[in-house]
Amino acid sequence: MGDQKKLQELSDEFQKFQAELQSIVDGRQKLESQQQENDSVKKEFTKNPNATKFKLIGPVLLKQDQTEAQMSVDGRLDFIEKEIKRVEGQIKDIQTKSEQKKMEIIQLQSSIQQQSQGQAQAAQA
Amino acid sequence: MSPQQGQQIDLTSLSAQQLSQLKKQLDSELEHLTSSFQSLRTAQSRFRDCLKSIKTVEAQKESGTEARYMHRRTKAHPHLIPLTSSLYVPGHFSHIAPSELSLEGTGSEPELLVDVGTGFFVSKSPKHATEFYNDKIKDLEASLKELEGVINAKGQNSRVVEDVLRQKVLAGQGGGSGEGKEIEAS
Repeated sequence: MGDQKKLQELSDEFQKFQAELQSIVDGRQKLESQQQENDSVKKEFTKNPNATKFKLIGPVLLKQDQTEAQMSVDGRLDFIEKEIKRVEGQIKDIQTKSEQKKMEIIQLQSSIQQQSQGQAQAAQA
Repeated sequence: MSPQQGQQIDLTSLSAQQLSQLKKQLDSELEHLTSSFQSLRTAQSRFRDCLKSIKTVEAQKESGTEARYMHRRTKAHPHLIPLTSSLYVPGHFSHIAPSELSLEGTGSEPELLVDVGTGFFVSKSPKHATEFYNDKIKDLEASLKELEGVINAKGQNSRVVEDVLRQKVLAGQGGGSGEGKEIEAS
């Protein structure tokens, strides 16, 4: 019975890891889409360096010059890149952890199975 | 993603339980992809609406030019500006009115503000704005095509898995036969 309880605990932990992984992966996807959006804005800026640019701040459109706009987009891209690296690290971390838990669970399961088989054989004999 | 992409697995070697799990996974992927497809489609049609709006503005400008010698306000198509969802007032685009253009004397085209994303707006001539939106639509079209291929492949996979699963169940051998074989889905 102790084994069953331990198995339950392990699988709970495993599920927790999975949920955590899911939410981090969601965050990763969001970062990806933000990166794409900023990339397209950057492309747009480099294509039309002389066009008048405005930045939406709250409900107002503020005029911005090229260098300022370029800089803020570059800054965002930098930040997003760093975030992506950080989140990738987290994902790897959680993946290895949950993989470990999975192995533990499989080991425990097979040992339980062997025990019950052994008992069944003993009962037959 | 799907096991069929990485390693080849003989589906018939899987147990009914594993098959139904695989089917569930494929179905959820399919659902996710289909909803992405839908949102891409909506984005595309929004860009199309933008193009249509530019054309309307352009048409207004032209009719305005024709009306140069007439009274501007009576001739140029007025627009209805919504004040609330049920109350509208007539209006016209002041910054593309021909008189103002000729006043500036620069011959510059009327300017539109285009939202290029992340809170930035770039002023563009209608021609450039049209190009911008056409590019966007083309990009989306490419993504849509790609996504459609993936969705079809996934649907195919799902159908195959379902078929094998049905055969398994019909043969009444589900459960036992595939045990011990690793499912390599990740």
